[in-house]
Amino acid sequence: MEEGEDGGRSRLFLKQFKKGEYRMTNKANSEYEVLSPWAEADPIPPRGISPRVESLEGRKIGLLRNSKRAALPLLNVVGRRLKEKFPTAEFTEFANLRPNEVIIEQDAKEKFEEWLKGVDAVVAAFGD
Amino acid sequence: MTLVNKGFANDAGSASSSKGMPVLRYIPTSVPCEASIMEDIEAGVDGAFEAMVTALTKPLTAEEESPKPKEIEKPARIIFKGSLEEVNRFFYQRGWADGLPIIPPTEEAVAEMLTGTDLPSDHLLGKLESRLGKATIEKIAINAVMAGALPTYIPVLIAGTKLLLESERGFMGYTTFGFSTGSWAPFWIINGPVSSEINVNNSSGALSPGNIANAAIGRAMGLIIKNIGGVRKGVEDMGVMGNPMKYSMVIAENEEESPWEPLHVEYGFKREESTITVSYPQTYLQHWPYSADAEGILRAVIDNIPRGMRYTFIFTPPHAKNLAREGWTKEDIKEFISEYARIPGSRFAGKGLGGMWGGLYKGRIPIRDTDSLSMIRDPQFIRVIVAGGPGAFIAHAAGGGATPGKKQTQKIELPKNWDKLVKKYKNVVPTYAKY
Repeated sequence: MEEGEDGGRSRLFLKQFKKGEYRMTNKANSEYEVLSPWAEADPIPPRGISPRVESLEGRKIGLLRNSKRAALPLLNVVGRRLKEKFPTAEFTEFANLRPNEVIIEQDAKEKFEEWLKGVDAVVAAFGD
Repeated sequence: MTLVNKGFANDAGSASSSKGMPVLRYIPTSVPCEASIMEDIEAGVDGAFEAMVTALTKPLTAEEESPKPKEIEKPARIIFKGSLEEVNRFFYQRGWADGLPIIPPTEEAVAEMLTGTDLPSDHLLGKLESRLGKATIEKIAINAVMAGALPTYIPVLIAGTKLLLESERGFMGYTTFGFSTGSWAPFWIINGPVSSEINVNNSSGALSPGNIANAAIGRAMGLIIKNIGGVRKGVEDMGVMGNPMKYSMVIAENEEESPWEPLHVEYGFKREESTITVSYPQTYLQHWPYSADAEGILRAVIDNIPRGMRYTFIFTPPHAKNLAREGWTKEDIKEFISEYARIPGSRFAGKGLGGMWGGLYKGRIPIRDTDSLSMIRDPQFIRVIVAGGPGAFIAHAAGGGATPGKKQTQKIELPKNWDKLVKKYKNVVPTYAKY
């Protein structure tokens, strides 16, 4: 590098630094206009939830569980507590026991829908 | 109404919304996950009891009765403009990145990526769970750019996305393993001529960082799952411990040095075809053989095998050749492992987990504690591949994967200009200085 060139660049560096224009990165020089990686999704037609009962007294309450270990003892406690508070309530269970497979949408669909017809409210315990 | 563990409240919201029931009443409880201690269960139910009764009896709001349809989610195509640092911060804060820096997906970079396919950018492969995001070729290309992929990887990524889209429904497929608390990581195996054409490492340190193909293909698939499928850590992906293999776990089978037929040929593809195969291991472990002959290799495999549902065993070329020289085929090895990987009846999971996993073992439930049980019910749950460098280690990738016969491998379709593309990018390889 020629001495003069180096001196010229040094003076420019000092000038930029004093004016507050000098940057240690190429931040000011490179701008990227970027495309979104987030996919479009069509809205799924929403469904409302079933009407509620005024009271649980005298009602048939469905206890719905999946295969996870805590679901059964949890719903047993739910059933006991509800019975204590609403002694005339009755209970019925439905178990969806194949791990992570929604059998109520597949081979047990009819049986599940029949069960649903016979209940006034459902407490479900899903997940882990 | 539904009771959920409080840590799963966001997940419950995403799940109910993606099933078309955004107004589902769910009550977060303090009942610990997989709880088996009655005191904890009772305390959790008691704490949620009033809210539960209210959820069952409080009249519906107009919105709950008839929820308004959501507007079409159509993010702007060009989403941001800024420096490298600003783009990275923007993507990270939107939840679109994976913690590592990304390459900005500019129009130019995405256009270059799209040279790797003959499919039009708006071609829709399908809608990816859980969000049912539209998996268009352009979105795959954008995520590929972010991951640092080369255009020659796009055919692999398209095939990988198809594999997820066509994955078996239910417990053994992507819709479980992509989301589960088990932190299962997709493990991608590339077979056929493509693997060498795009330089997928099948030799020394194949599963370590250092090769773009092995690093970027898995990373891009992770971003595709996140940004197209909408599976985000701690929101929909509820992996408890997480898994470093989720950054990228990609390998090619060393078909040239293998004495056996390659994986894709076992699965019915032609040797000259290229494929991508997926499974979902939780665990990756390595060990030495007791000796270099078949007995020393296979006894060591048996002694080191972890619990899992599906297994991939990776043998180095010398070990594979030693096994083959003694007459062992891949099928013999699978049979042997399935027969001799056993646990004593006293360790039968059925005793500790309410019988939940009892079906994973072949044979009958043990009568005596001294009876033994096979850990792997079916030899078809096992894969054997050849890869790895010089040295004497054997690797196991154990976890989940498809039911035999269900989709687990996808053919990779190549564009017309493939040879030209390969020529253009083939030399993008590290050249290490000697010292």
